[in-house]
Amino acid sequence: MVEATASHPVHDRLSINRLGLWLFIISDSFLFAALLSSRFFLQGVHRPAELNQPLGLVISIILVASSLTAYRSEMAAAHGDQRGFRNNILMTIGLGLLFIIGVGVEWREAFTHFPPSTGFGTIFFTLTGVHASHVLSGLILLGIVLFLGRKGRFTSGSYWGVEGAVKYWHFVDVAWVFIYPTLYLVS
Amino acid sequence: MNRHALIVLLLWLLLAVVGEFLVVRLAPGMFPVVAAEEGEIVDNAFTFLMILAVPVLAFVLATLLYSLASFRSRGTPSQDGPPIHTNRPVLFVWFLATIGLTALMIVHPGITGMRELADRADREPDLVVKVETMRFGWRITYPEQKINTFQELVLPVGKHVRFEVTSLDVLHAFWVPAFRMKIDAVPGMVTTVHATPNRTGGFQNDPNFRLQCAELCGIGHSVMQVPVRVVEQKEFDAWAAQQSKLARRSN
Amino acid sequence: MAAASGLKPILKGLSFALVGLLIGAGLGLLFTSLTNRPSTEPVIVLGYVFALLGWLLGVGLWDAWGREWVGLPVQGEAGHDWRRFFRFTTDHKIIGVQYLVTFVVVMLLAGIASVLMRVELMAPGKNILGPNEFNTTMSLHGIMMIAVAVATIIGGFANFLLPLMIGADDVAFPRINALSYWIIPPVAVLLLLTPFFGGFDSGWTAYPPLSVINAHGQLLFLLAFLTFGVSSILGGLNFLTTIIKLRAPGMTWGRLPIFVWSIFAAALISLTATQFVAYGLLMIILDRVVGMSFFRASEGGNPLLYEHIFWFYSHPAVYIMILPAFGIALEVLTHFSRKPLFAYKWVVGAFLGIVGLSFIVWAHHLYTSGMPNSLHIPFMVTTELISIPTGVVFLAALGTIWMGRLWLTTPMLFAIAFVFNFLIGGVTGIFLADVPTDIQLQDNYFVVAHFHYTIMGGEIFAIMAGLYYWFPKVTGRMYHEKLGKVHFWSMFLTYNVTFLAMFWAGIQGMNRRVADYIPDLAGINLFVSIASFFLAASFLILVYNLVRSWARGTVASASPWRARTLEWQTSSPPPLENFPHPPVVVGHPYDYGVPGSVHAAPAPVGGGSEDER
Ligand code: HEA
Ligand code: HEA
Ligand code: CUA
Ligand SMILES: [Cu+2]
Repeated sequence: MVEATASHPVHDRLSINRLGLWLFIISDSFLFAALLSSRFFLQGVHRPAELNQPLGLVISIILVASSLTAYRSEMAAAHGDQRGFRNNILMTIGLGLLFIIGVGVEWREAFTHFPPSTGFGTIFFTLTGVHASHVLSGLILLGIVLFLGRKGRFTSGSYWGVEGAVKYWHFVDVAWVFIYPTLYLVS
Repeated sequence: MNRHALIVLLLWLLLAVVGEFLVVRLAPGMFPVVAAEEGEIVDNAFTFLMILAVPVLAFVLATLLYSLASFRSRGTPSQDGPPIHTNRPVLFVWFLATIGLTALMIVHPGITGMRELADRADREPDLVVKVETMRFGWRITYPEQKINTFQELVLPVGKHVRFEVTSLDVLHAFWVPAFRMKIDAVPGMVTTVHATPNRTGGFQNDPNFRLQCAELCGIGHSVMQVPVRVVEQKEFDAWAAQQSKLARRSN
Repeated sequence: MAAASGLKPILKGLSFALVGLLIGAGLGLLFTSLTNRPSTEPVIVLGYVFALLGWLLGVGLWDAWGREWVGLPVQGEAGHDWRRFFRFTTDHKIIGVQYLVTFVVVMLLAGIASVLMRVELMAPGKNILGPNEFNTTMSLHGIMMIAVAVATIIGGFANFLLPLMIGADDVAFPRINALSYWIIPPVAVLLLLTPFFGGFDSGWTAYPPLSVINAHGQLLFLLAFLTFGVSSILGGLNFLTTIIKLRAPGMTWGRLPIFVWSIFAAALISLTATQFVAYGLLMIILDRVVGMSFFRASEGGNPLLYEHIFWFYSHPAVYIMILPAFGIALEVLTHFSRKPLFAYKWVVGAFLGIVGLSFIVWAHHLYTSGMPNSLHIPFMVTTELISIPTGVVFLAALGTIWMGRLWLTTPMLFAIAFVFNFLIGGVTGIFLADVPTDIQLQDNYFVVAHFHYTIMGGEIFAIMAGLYYWFPKVTGRMYHEKLGKVHFWSMFLTYNVTFLAMFWAGIQGMNRRVADYIPDLAGINLFVSIASFFLAASFLILVYNLVRSWARGTVASASPWRARTLEWQTSSPPPLENFPHPPVVVGHPYDYGVPGSVHAAPAPVGGGSEDER
């Protein structure tokens, strides 16, 4: 979302972009609200014993940790520290991929215990699936940011791309902070 | 008060009085035949809402018509109108009126009507009828009489009936126009609806005596209907006895 | 040759889409063979998703973003001839025209569907359509009209006019704006393809389990609606940002034209609520395509979940339709009464109040759905409360024309008719909001008449007012006033005859979504059908007037209505940058009759004086 229209007078591009991103996040939160409400509507607080609790906890910690590295990469970009920025982005991507792999393992087990055609499976696969697709799109954004960063597109004064991608990543993380307890903890 | 406002007031009163007169005169003949106590509650609520709607419609209409008649300019207006930005007393009265009307509508016929319906629903039913829907038919079971039929819904007059409705496939809706009662048939769920038929009659004489599907369910939706027959208790007993005899014979 | 080169972006989009379709369908086949689910549905879904991506990339996404990212030179703007209308351009005025023309066409198609329906309903028994064809025609009519109602004003009018009215040179995110338009053609294509995939017989509401088990056409419908939702969300985001960030100097919140406020309110809804319908549709797709159990009773699934989620969007959506219509109607009423908008601030408050309330009334569609009875009273109360803010809008309309100098041009006539029609639509909404009456009226032609009064009598009439009012601004030419008036009267009269009679049909017990009905209702249905044919014919006058006037109407001046808002302070049509000199706002837009008042000073020399009201 790097909007710049040369022929027009300069508006405060950065604050416009920021507002746009916040509005997008508000909008997307409604999707997660819908997801969460469907869990309680259909399954109440039912929670099968076969859920892999340790794995759930581990991937949650991984995702939270990735928010930290994402934050560090934004800070580095703000200070013009190109190496720190790239390393931290790379770490974030790595942790994100780990999370996705964790979800993959979780899915394999889930298929045997509560496949998508069962009541709980429907909820489980949908919630984790929609969230994972957000993680994937976040990874793609981070990848683009890394690619552009390699080409030196971001300076300490102009790094909206980094900031936008990182904010989105935080949002995806926060969404998981709501999904994790509704799937793994309530009962 | 200025002259314009006075005329509109009179016009409003005139329209409202004519409107109310029409409603009161025409309403009873407006509805198709009603054959259940619950249906009368519904029709009364409808009539009362019409009575409330008339002054609202009349006010807007009176103001519009009068403005069109007396404030129109022939061709392009050469000057602007008076710069009235707002008028607090008018706003105040308007708020008071709309809030009052809304409150009234919520209480009556809204809550009172629902209370009346709920009171009837709470009564011990004289007869329970189970209705299972499927594309595109009705399986109607009388558990007490141990009979079931796909052909028609027969009910004794004056008895309070509870219908327990469910669906075997998609959504349907149980609706008898003459009773004004409706409830969806939802797979995996039993929904209930009540009716106390208070007039005998049947589909042959009046097509509003029919059990009609009222929720889109596919190709056969419009023809998913069976006749309804409301009969005296004796006749009902005879019909039930005959049905169970038929059932036994075919077993 | 010129034509072919003008259509190049579209041809490119189509060929990319074809490639995408093949890739996606291949993946789909792979998926089905891996999972042993003998079904064509994954093939359709993946084929469509990739085709959509291909289409968007080909038609302009790549040129707009991708080239910049990989460091290729970005191509310049399109030229000035007709070809620019077939391009991925970022000029909000062109996008506005693209939206308007597209949706007028969609509306005509949906109108033809309604004519087919009315032919079938002229007499009981089968006339021209079998039951499945009828259901598909009805559902197509419904969803296409809903799309028209949701997107014509926000996508068309607001795109063209909103930046002009707030003195901006474009929207906040011009490329996203173009994207939200170019998502629309695939939606139309999908919907028009449904009849070739068995149609879909679930109405525009697509309640499961029916929508889980019926023909593949349903899947196309679901994908189309979902795609449309994306466009809506992006549009809402764009307009909110534009209004918040790009107002000209001096354009305070208290000086925004009421149309801008109405778009602000509607955009709030489309930004948020639309996510719910997206999820609702996704649930059905998942049930269909991968065999999940959202709606399978034996696994604890429950169709009521869909109904709640769907109406959590679709009720607010009716205010996405009607709020901008209020905006247009009040705008037109003010300028043609030559008086300030009555109780401006209260109207703004009412708009925001409607937005707030719209989120907590959805279950008034579910009184007979089998949801717990304890929910009836709360939802009845919230629903009926909406009449209070809506009443303020009516007061504003009446207060504005009161003592005015009414200039009865075609747009003004349509705006006044809007007040009348929407009054009937709104008041009959109360009959439906009331639980005892709704038990009988739900899924009945009374409902059909109610929403045609609110959407067609309300919003479409407002759209007509806007179409005539801004026609000179958009095209630079005047429409034919006499023909306009003929259109107005023929449409107004036939419209009311058609749909008033529908209330009667409903009271007599005609239920909706039926291809056939009891013979007792033959008379009223014949009457409605014949009236509706005259109504449809009245649109021919409109089409003729638009086409003729665009081609060779008299040239319009910058401000043929002598209206005060900013869009009239620039040439007709406006130049690419909108205002040769960026305007500075110094006063209220509606101060008609206030001596010496000015809304905007064209050339900013040291800023304007701030006379606060
Ligand atoms: C633009 C679209 C639009 C608008 C604005 C409205 C506005 C309203 N609608 Fe409507 N409605 C639809 C479009 C719309 N509706 C559609 C499409 C459906 C059917 C969907 C489907 O099933 O396919 C529907 C269905 C529908 C139902 C469900 C019916 C059923 O299926 O059982 C209900 C029930 O409550 C309802 C109520 C209302 C109410 C109370 C309003 C209120 O907002 C109206 C408020 C306005 C007024 C009241 C008039 C002006 C006020 C005054 C002059 C003040 C004084 C008046 C009083 C105090 C009363 N509508
Ligand atoms: C914007 C919203 C909108 C508009 C404008 C209309 C316009 C019309 N609608 Fe629509 N309608 C809906 C939205 C709308 N409808 C919705 C949402 C449904 C619910 C669907 C569902 O239940 O799922 C519905 C359902 C619906 C039904 C109920 C179907 C059923 O339940 O079985 C009927 C029945 O008569 C109907 C009729 C009409 C008619 C006659 C018009 C006319 O006003 C149309 C006017 C004609 C045109 C706009 C076409 C232009 C004219 C020409 C091109 C001229 C050429 C043709 C000839 C002269 C023959 N509509
Ligand atoms: Cu069964 Cu409609
Ligand atoms: Cu609603």
